[in-house]
Amino acid sequence: MYQYDRKGPKRGVALYSYSAEFGLTKTLEDCFEDVHDMGAHGIEILANTHIANYPYPTDEWVENWFRLCDKYEVVPVEYGNWIDSHVLGDRDLTTEESVAMLSRDIRLAHRLGFTVMRTKMPVINDLLEPVKNWREIIKGALPLAEQLNIKMCPEIHTPSNLKGKLVTDFVDFIKETGTKHFGLNIDFSVFRTEFKEGEWVDPNYTPNAPEDIIPLLPYIYCCHAKFINMSEDFRETTIPYPEIIKVMQENGWDGYLLSEYEGADKYDPGYEVGQTLRRHHVMLKNLLGD
Amino acid sequence: MLEADVIQYRGFRNIERDGKAVGFQICVRSDYYRGVWLSQLRPGKVVVDGVTYPKEDVIWEINGKDHTVAELAEAGGEFWRITDVATLKIMKDGGLSQGFHDVSVRFAASCSYMPPFLDQFDEDGDDRSFNGGTYTRKNMIIV
Amino acid sequence: MERRVKRGVAIYSYSGEYGRTMNLEDCFKDLRDMGATGIEILANSHIDSYPALTDEYVAEWMRLCTAYGVEPVEYGHWIDSRLYRNREISPQEAREKLVNDFQIAHRLGFRILRTKMGVINAELAPMENWREIIESVLPEAEKYDVVMCPEIHLTTVLSDRFVQDYVDFINETGTKNFGLNIDLSVFQNRFDVPGVVVFNPDCKHSQPEEIIPLLPYVKCIHAKFNKMDDDFNELTIPYPEILKILTDYGWEGYLLSEYEGEKKDVPGFVSHELRKQHVMMKRILGY
Repeated sequence: MYQYDRKGPKRGVALYSYSAEFGLTKTLEDCFEDVHDMGAHGIEILANTHIANYPYPTDEWVENWFRLCDKYEVVPVEYGNWIDSHVLGDRDLTTEESVAMLSRDIRLAHRLGFTVMRTKMPVINDLLEPVKNWREIIKGALPLAEQLNIKMCPEIHTPSNLKGKLVTDFVDFIKETGTKHFGLNIDFSVFRTEFKEGEWVDPNYTPNAPEDIIPLLPYIYCCHAKFINMSEDFRETTIPYPEIIKVMQENGWDGYLLSEYEGADKYDPGYEVGQTLRRHHVMLKNLLGD
Repeated sequence: MLEADVIQYRGFRNIERDGKAVGFQICVRSDYYRGVWLSQLRPGKVVVDGVTYPKEDVIWEINGKDHTVAELAEAGGEFWRITDVATLKIMKDGGLSQGFHDVSVRFAASCSYMPPFLDQFDEDGDDRSFNGGTYTRKNMIIV
Repeated sequence: MERRVKRGVAIYSYSGEYGRTMNLEDCFKDLRDMGATGIEILANSHIDSYPALTDEYVAEWMRLCTAYGVEPVEYGHWIDSRLYRNREISPQEAREKLVNDFQIAHRLGFRILRTKMGVINAELAPMENWREIIESVLPEAEKYDVVMCPEIHLTTVLSDRFVQDYVDFINETGTKNFGLNIDLSVFQNRFDVPGVVVFNPDCKHSQPEEIIPLLPYVKCIHAKFNKMDDDFNELTIPYPEILKILTDYGWEGYLLSEYEGEKKDVPGFVSHELRKQHVMMKRILGY
């Protein structure tokens, strides 16, 4: 299987970015080829979106998955999954049922060569607080994650703050259990400082400074390199990318930055998100010096 | 699936050898509703940012095999399908620079079921024929 | 009611979307929605291993035909007389490609071939050695049970000399492996309707009754259409008169829809126009 040995922050793409085109004008292989064009070597898929016949892909599909990774020199980096505790509508899944769902994804992630999962927790309010039994669910899945070397990472996304209770609770859990198989995925939306005039901003949101990430780095196994607006001269105009990357490099962080574009304009007819991603990768390439 | 434009964003990148850029490539789909035998192709010039690369400088990779334009003219047994791209490869030390590029590719396909007076194409010119012409896509990005 | 005239679709109609926003199975799905039971493919466009035929393609083809209740009707292929820039192809070269097409068509279950010949003038008269080429492959056509049908298409009219030449050829040779595909564009009498793509506004056209003496030789019809209105009328070709003649004279075969209007590359547009045309044909035919 293809391996990419570079140390430090590395470039990758979250295929979520293609959500307006995937299945309509782009196949999975088209996305891989785009990633290859950009010279990126990591990929995030969403299990529920990009795996045909999820959660039970055929052997042929899995075989093709590894063929794509080899052909386009791409490492399976992050497997996006959901703990859908609210799936039944009239009651939440029990802890045991949630663990079973999560375990199924851990096995599938492992089968596809992933080592990190973006494990989306079910939330209970607009502060994105997770269900009360999240600790029990994660603990229930930890032995399997350990056995298969998978790191489950909830995503820290605006309006959450790196110094907030949500993050503190996760870090406390990691320290208490001493686990290496639960960590964080930081979405760079938490660093966003610029908004358009009149744009709605969540009242719960306070931007983080780039250095706020430093104490968390040991627990971060992956980042969503969220971007909002790329200028014609390849700068991201809303998030202080140069400072963030500098902090991560200087503090020796090793892992993938997965480009994620979620601008609503990607649903405009004829929009090609690949072009937007290419702009982002011009910037990342120059900042990382790869 | 292919992009709607003849010139595809996907596949536009520098060609590297031993870690060094030695050229660049552009992928095109056929604008014709049927696939053609390679000898029916009328390959023309490629223009990038105003720099013209004559057709003799362009290698057409189809079905994984490289062809010069002279070889295309003889390849009546090989076929370009409408669901496949042709990869046009041009050698250039250092490749193309990082950033935006305006790209034009000129080609057509000969068509025996059209009257001969319509089945004409000047590969080096700029006019359109019923079955080809100069295709342009602006702001293509090299990362 | 006896269903001698049947509805099908030439998936050439989807050429603005094929490979971009539609694949082969999407075309089949559309056909089933319309209640169309026959299909025409173009060898050069819709067989992803052409000029070879893989076992995988054959298996997938059979699966699609069965799953969507569609029968293989017409196989479009070409005699590319100007295959090379500086010379006409030889009869032997033409023969090799033709026999390959017969084999593929036969394996996929097609009996009718739309054999598009190279042309030599503005009336679309075929290359001069067409008789020699066709005669040389008649034994193989018989062996693979296929009928080669040149397509009679605008700007040709039914009274053009070479249409009679084809008929004479059939009568003289007595062959059952050569016939005609009439494209209804030969009856197109309106060129001034907005949205209609006009190739030549001064084009001649044939009258519907001119098809009557040709019917014994017509194996297949391209139900060309350019513009449907929202009352399900085609605005450029006299469909009611033509279809009445076909049913009155007991013609048996497929009408294969072929859309040649505007906006072919707008996703969903052609699917919608085809449905309108099939509403029209269904109403006229009564089924």
